[in-house]
Amino acid sequence: MEQTAVRFEHVSMAFPGVLANDDVSLEIKKGEVFALVGENGAGKSTLMNILYGILTPTDGRVYINGSPVDRFAPRAAIARGVGMVHQHFMLVPSFTVAENIVLSREPRKGRIFFDSAAARRETEALSAEYGLAVDPSAVVGDLSVGLQQRVEILKALHRGAEILILDEPTAVLTPQETEELFAVIRRIVGQRHMTVIIITHKLYEVMAISDRVGVMRKGQLVGVRDTADVDEKLLASMMVGRPMLYDELEKTGTPGKELLRVEDLKVRDSRGLAAVRGVSLSVRAGEVLGIAAVEGNGQSELIEAITGMIRPESGKVFLLDRDVTGQDPGAIRAVGLAHVPEDRLATGVSAQATVADNLLAGRQREKRFTRFGFHRRMSTVERYASQLYERFDIRGAGTQAPAGSMSGGNMQKVVIAREFSFDAPVLIVAQPTRGVDVGAIEFIHSQIIAKRNQGCAILLCSADLDEVFRLSDRIVTLYEGRITGEFSGTFSKDEIGWHMTGGGKREEAG
Amino acid sequence: MDKLKKLNWGYLGSLAVSVLLAFAIGAAILAVAGFDPLRAYAAMAEGAFSSARHIGDLLEYAMVLCLTGLACVLGSRVGIFNVGGEGQLLLGAVVSCQVGVWLGSFSPWIALPAAALAAMAVGGLYALIPGFLKVKVKVNEVITTIMLNTIAASLCQYLAKGPWKNPNKNMVAATAQLDPRLWFKSLIPGSNLSTAILAAAVITVLTWYVMEKTSKGYEMRLTGQNPRFAFFSGIKTDRLVIGCMVISGAMCGLVGMFRVYGVEHLYRSSVSNQYYFEGLTVAMIAGYQPVTVIFLSFFFAILKTGAQGMELTAGVPNQIYLIIQTVIIFCMAAESGVFSSLRAGAQRRKAQEDIRRKEGRDHA
Amino acid sequence: MLEDILSGIFSAGTFNQMLRSATPVALAALGGAMTEHAGIMNIGMDGMILMGAFFGVLGSWYFGSAAAGVALVLVMGVIVGLFFALFTVKFRSDEFIIGTALNTFALGLTSFLSRSIFGTAGTKGNPALPTVHLPFLDAIPFLGRVLNDNSLFIYVTWALVLVMWLFVYRTPYGLWLRASGEKPETLRTAGIAPERMKWLASILCGLLCGLAGAHLSLGQLQGTFAEDMANSRGYIAFACVIFSKADPAMAYVAALMFGFFDAIGLRLQDYISSDLTNTIPYVITIVMMVYVVVRSQRKKRHAGKRLPQRQT
Repeated sequence: MEQTAVRFEHVSMAFPGVLANDDVSLEIKKGEVFALVGENGAGKSTLMNILYGILTPTDGRVYINGSPVDRFAPRAAIARGVGMVHQHFMLVPSFTVAENIVLSREPRKGRIFFDSAAARRETEALSAEYGLAVDPSAVVGDLSVGLQQRVEILKALHRGAEILILDEPTAVLTPQETEELFAVIRRIVGQRHMTVIIITHKLYEVMAISDRVGVMRKGQLVGVRDTADVDEKLLASMMVGRPMLYDELEKTGTPGKELLRVEDLKVRDSRGLAAVRGVSLSVRAGEVLGIAAVEGNGQSELIEAITGMIRPESGKVFLLDRDVTGQDPGAIRAVGLAHVPEDRLATGVSAQATVADNLLAGRQREKRFTRFGFHRRMSTVERYASQLYERFDIRGAGTQAPAGSMSGGNMQKVVIAREFSFDAPVLIVAQPTRGVDVGAIEFIHSQIIAKRNQGCAILLCSADLDEVFRLSDRIVTLYEGRITGEFSGTFSKDEIGWHMTGGGKREEAG
Repeated sequence: MDKLKKLNWGYLGSLAVSVLLAFAIGAAILAVAGFDPLRAYAAMAEGAFSSARHIGDLLEYAMVLCLTGLACVLGSRVGIFNVGGEGQLLLGAVVSCQVGVWLGSFSPWIALPAAALAAMAVGGLYALIPGFLKVKVKVNEVITTIMLNTIAASLCQYLAKGPWKNPNKNMVAATAQLDPRLWFKSLIPGSNLSTAILAAAVITVLTWYVMEKTSKGYEMRLTGQNPRFAFFSGIKTDRLVIGCMVISGAMCGLVGMFRVYGVEHLYRSSVSNQYYFEGLTVAMIAGYQPVTVIFLSFFFAILKTGAQGMELTAGVPNQIYLIIQTVIIFCMAAESGVFSSLRAGAQRRKAQEDIRRKEGRDHA
Repeated sequence: MLEDILSGIFSAGTFNQMLRSATPVALAALGGAMTEHAGIMNIGMDGMILMGAFFGVLGSWYFGSAAAGVALVLVMGVIVGLFFALFTVKFRSDEFIIGTALNTFALGLTSFLSRSIFGTAGTKGNPALPTVHLPFLDAIPFLGRVLNDNSLFIYVTWALVLVMWLFVYRTPYGLWLRASGEKPETLRTAGIAPERMKWLASILCGLLCGLAGAHLSLGQLQGTFAEDMANSRGYIAFACVIFSKADPAMAYVAALMFGFFDAIGLRLQDYISSDLTNTIPYVITIVMMVYVVVRSQRKKRHAGKRLPQRQT
């Protein structure tokens, strides 16, 4: 019997300007849990999208259960028993659980009609068989993220998956949900002899769940090991290609007076649900306050309310001792705040505008850039933009190219360059290095610390815990819209992890 | 030399090809309908330039296309599509006309500015409705403005037939005529061209200047490209969008006044025959670029005047003009669609090449 | 006086008129519901209706039979649908530009051809669609008079509302259609190309809007074509689609509402200028659009109100 579930032979995938997979050869055995790790942009998802038939490799061959794949299409992959749970769920929010699960292979009544009762029955049977409880009639859009993921897994199983790909499945899960997911994985591998490939960049998860692990870096597979033979440190150094120890950042000075104060802030999210449920915090000059939280616990709404992007429901925001609650971003910026937003493409740049125009946003009416406060002085604008371009080491096709043509890291540098150049006493920095390459991360971190040493009050929010640890003087943990703990001095990862997942709250309650 | 390089050659090429294709398709339609395409096009060319009167009509029509086109660009710059210019134009025309009738005994120095202000106010206010609904209530402006067009057309009919009716019994659905002292002076006798075109030129330059050369224009551009980013960077986007919509409406109202005081000298529905939509089409073909709108206005004015001449001399319905105009849009859309898929294919092939070459090196 | 007006308004004639005014809008709205579910913003329906109206009369005039006219409309409907999908689906052009251009193109083409073939006066009195008499309805007092003796397509529309509703909500293809608009990747990862559903939706829309036009020229006006006779009905149909969230049954109800106000407007013409009463359905359409948005926003009252919508 064939013991190899999947074999990649010299697979390469080129996108315009990027080699996402570079000559990858890899074997995945039947019945194992294989972890694929690497940084953002290392090519993990690309490789799996090839296996699932969404992408056609530019070169190389793929074998599933020993026979070569000649046509790359999801339908063909599904027929071969490949299932994939995408990082962004492939579910139709307005459909019921049952409708989502049977989509594309619906049970029918009289050839043309959809048999929804049968769909519900099939869902119930499947859910009982694998011990994954779901309500077949529930509308998917109303379900929690954890339950939606469960629906995704059931959908793959309904399509007869034997090889299940999970793309960053735990990124949006709470620790309990993660535990449940791992239990499910162990069950389907143990009882059904399925093969599971899990993409992640959380190394402790690799250790917890996988049998073998492959490490990717810059499109290449740099090593495959038995999980039992490695530890997190070794994996980390394989991932980045050198010891992950950054240079120690030099923090100087002592915190001064309070520049930003938030009092009992309550904010609703875009769906009208309570996202921030009474948060108070304060940031002083010359310190970095880090917010540690799993995504979706109110940190985005908290920051948007402070910066004026949305109006809080109640509570107060004081900036340099002035009440700025509910004012628009323009007014708040004028008092003395700059903001690096979490989603640069949606909020931080105009992709169609030139780099120069992006660097200028917020300064267009300044005297030096206009005559009579109205007529634009293009030469001054251009000179100013070129200076920032140099100073922040932005690399692209120059200041007159559209910002959308740049790589993520350089686009982020444009945002940082603009916001840091305001010399605002208060800086709000959200996800400063998301999707940014390692070299640029170093640079951005040093810029943040330089601002801190100059006496800025910095509020930092990042999904990357290591980043929060490295930059912060103090850390607060946020869970379900409330602050669950505050830490300073030397941080303990365990303790903070415990509080940012509601552990502290449970302790108090218990 | 530098200016030459800055021209968007890709756009110009695509436009030229589209225009040629559109004329070819227009010829095919003419042939199917039983006309001789060559004769028709010859009549068209002749119709546009045969007499000073035609050239005057042509320039007047270019003015209308240019102002309405710019009004459309003004909205689209900030991300709101003013499809309601037709209604704003008609209301501006009827109200400014009636103001002129009321102030008939006053000096033109009082009556004309009053009429212009009235036209702008009415057009602006009428554009405020969809602008407000779009920004504050988030109602799609395309549908509301189209509905408001039909409503405005009916209202103007009502006013022209009822309260503001022409005292002359033979005039149906028209308001009273303006005192000739208030008319814009004709520049070419017998044609539609009047001194209004001078005012239009000033407005055109001003609009271009604000959009392209000022910090306000910069803010408009950012708002249209990414409203969230614009708001984030401190621009009061709501106010800007509503403001641009109101100014766009005011411009359309003013066009209505120009039509009344320059051409018709009273209000009747021939003040505008879907002129705003033709201006909007010009704006679309121009890719919402003000300078291109100005140039294309002349081109399409030639086409339209020529088509009207052609109808008279060769008996070909002038609607061939609308067909050619829209086919240009389809051709340009198709070209950009075909090109982008070709480009993607070429990039994919090139990437594949690169890998092969790299591998060749590795093996060597 | 007031009594006269009221009894005039609530007469069988008014409701009959409501049915007649509603039908072309309803047919177009059924088509618009298809493209809406497929995620295509279709403001080109006005042009599609106009094409249907013209080619219906052309076929009827040329072949001397209304059935041939309808057949020609169906052929043209498919062509227009394919044309629309070519740009909006294949070339990914701006839907607003293509829709607007399609409307202007249809206006130009139909006027040009009409003048070339029939002269400036247009054409009338061509073979028209029959009216249908259903004997069993005679027994029902008020309703019978409203529902009976109508043009054929009024009854066809009822059948089509049912068929389209079943198609959208009770067949796998309807499921795919809705998925293709709401989340096309879902379909793609299931091995079905969402573009195929979008093409299908566009063709169905072309067909249904064509029928709407055919009803207008061959049914309602008994074989007459007049320039720009769609008269913004395509846009009103679009508003009905939005109002009904693209549910065919609700779209029909919305169209009936439009028809009702149109009928009232016609009744009131004896008392008020017709120019004023003509505006009623259009004002109602705006009110309808505002209501839809307010309804959906009431649920999320406190949500970040000032935030401009995220660009996609």
